[in-house]
Amino acid sequence: MRRVGGSSRTGARAAPLFGLPAAGVVALLLYLPFLWTTYVSFTQYDGLASPVWAGLANYQAMFSDPDLIGALLNTLLWVVGMVTLPVVLGLLVAVLTYGHRWGSWLRLPFLLPYAISGVAVGVIWGFVLQPDGALGQALGFLGLPGAHTGWLQSGPGNTLMMIVAVTWQAAGVNALLFVVGLQSIPNEPLEAARLDGADGFRLFRHQLWPQLRPITTVVVGLSIVGSLKTFDVVWVMTQGGPGTSSETLALSMYKETFVLNDYGQGAAIALFLSLVTFAASILYLRYQLGDAREQA
Amino acid sequence: MSRLRTGLLVVLGLLWLAPIYLLVVNAAKPVDGYDADSVWKPDGFALFANFGDAWSKAALGDTLMATTLYSVVAPVLAVLIGAAAGYAIVVLRLRRGFLWFVFIFGGTIFPLQMVLMPLFSGYASSGLYDTRVGMVIVYTAISVPFSAFVMRNFFTGIARSVFEAAVVDGGGLFRIFRSIYLPMAGSALAAIFILQATFVWNDLLLGLTLSQSESVRPIMPALTGLQSTYGGASLPTVLAGGLLVSLPTVILFLAAQRFFSRGLALGQF
Repeated sequence: MRRVGGSSRTGARAAPLFGLPAAGVVALLLYLPFLWTTYVSFTQYDGLASPVWAGLANYQAMFSDPDLIGALLNTLLWVVGMVTLPVVLGLLVAVLTYGHRWGSWLRLPFLLPYAISGVAVGVIWGFVLQPDGALGQALGFLGLPGAHTGWLQSGPGNTLMMIVAVTWQAAGVNALLFVVGLQSIPNEPLEAARLDGADGFRLFRHQLWPQLRPITTVVVGLSIVGSLKTFDVVWVMTQGGPGTSSETLALSMYKETFVLNDYGQGAAIALFLSLVTFAASILYLRYQLGDAREQA
Repeated sequence: MSRLRTGLLVVLGLLWLAPIYLLVVNAAKPVDGYDADSVWKPDGFALFANFGDAWSKAALGDTLMATTLYSVVAPVLAVLIGAAAGYAIVVLRLRRGFLWFVFIFGGTIFPLQMVLMPLFSGYASSGLYDTRVGMVIVYTAISVPFSAFVMRNFFTGIARSVFEAAVVDGGGLFRIFRSIYLPMAGSALAAIFILQATFVWNDLLLGLTLSQSESVRPIMPALTGLQSTYGGASLPTVLAGGLLVSLPTVILFLAAQRFFSRGLALGQF
């Protein structure tokens, strides 16, 4: 036994060596850049000369520059769109397929787009939404109006259409998460309610929905975080244009920094996005870290 | 009720498959005589010729090599580094282990936008910009927090007596890690690897920011280049490119669906 005790102490002494690579790489490539971006956001900096302290000027610009206000509003539209469309559709698909004999097969069409990258989604939907493209031709064939609409050519319509594209990609993931949530609901109360003659909708409203609250929180949290970071699809489909009509804050950050060399402005946008993301993350991280602490 | 339910699902499902149908059908059309006014009708089969065009015109060949390297090496490194951290925290009972864990996992909380500019500046001044080594390093760093998170949880589930027995047998701490704990964690390691490989393969932002030459640039920025100007490529070629780069992740996804749903539940994607 003495050997075991002795070696455990050695273990504790050597333990940092095993933890250091992870902590080191994270500190050097994530935390250090985080601190530098935070500092730069309060300065005027073009990436060449030294940063000059500018106080809150970059933050004030975010709420006075018309282009950045536009990006802020578009980002807000993304958040609202992504916590409604893909969440509602995901829930619908989950409830319809759960317990269905061919449930996992019927779910597959919705999951397939999730395996495709944001860039490929942008390529596909850019093609579908071309003026007189696939969507226009389908509308024309069905005799519906809008066959010649330039879907991506003016705001905020272009943002809405891109939200539809990302809904196509994201709904299946949400469905999968809701199915996991449904699986954790005990069966007996459901059976009892069913025997009492509760129909489908009442069953959902009074039995399933309240019990899905935790997973709904996670899905909504993930949707908010994801929508704040929206970059790939917009970059591919419109590059934020025409003009800046479909720019999101994530895109503005990239453009301010790497196109306009206004590092301070880009950093301020990044920090703003981070703070909002962090607030939204607390929604679902509470569950994750709560679990971890119990295990510790 | 049940028939209504199935009917609704089938209609919605077909609607969801329509863009994929359009992608495949139009990626397969011959470039010569491509008719932009009848995209819904199949017309000829030149898919492999179009793959070939995308491969050579967008230099997707070079970039596919580089991206494959990144999506294999970076997740492997991240899995090992994360497993070592989990081992230190759980098995070796690292002092203030929970703080270490929060510090490492905290690396995932802020968006990539927060680190892009300093990484660009740092890479430019250290000679890592536009190098394959630089890309592997950044993808590894991004993947480590999630890896450490999963491995820590996994090792928590292994009985303490395993470690004590190994120590009594006289194994060194590194050997116990390598020949006892790593082999036991096979399924967790595979899950992390698959999720992170998919992330690296699909990345646009880091590739766009930290690379420019054809031999270093990952696949997604390269595809964007092909798309934005049509880079001298016609529509079927662009779509064939989009299809080509999607095949690996779609196949991986179908083969390993349960890993993805687990990763989702952990809130990574």
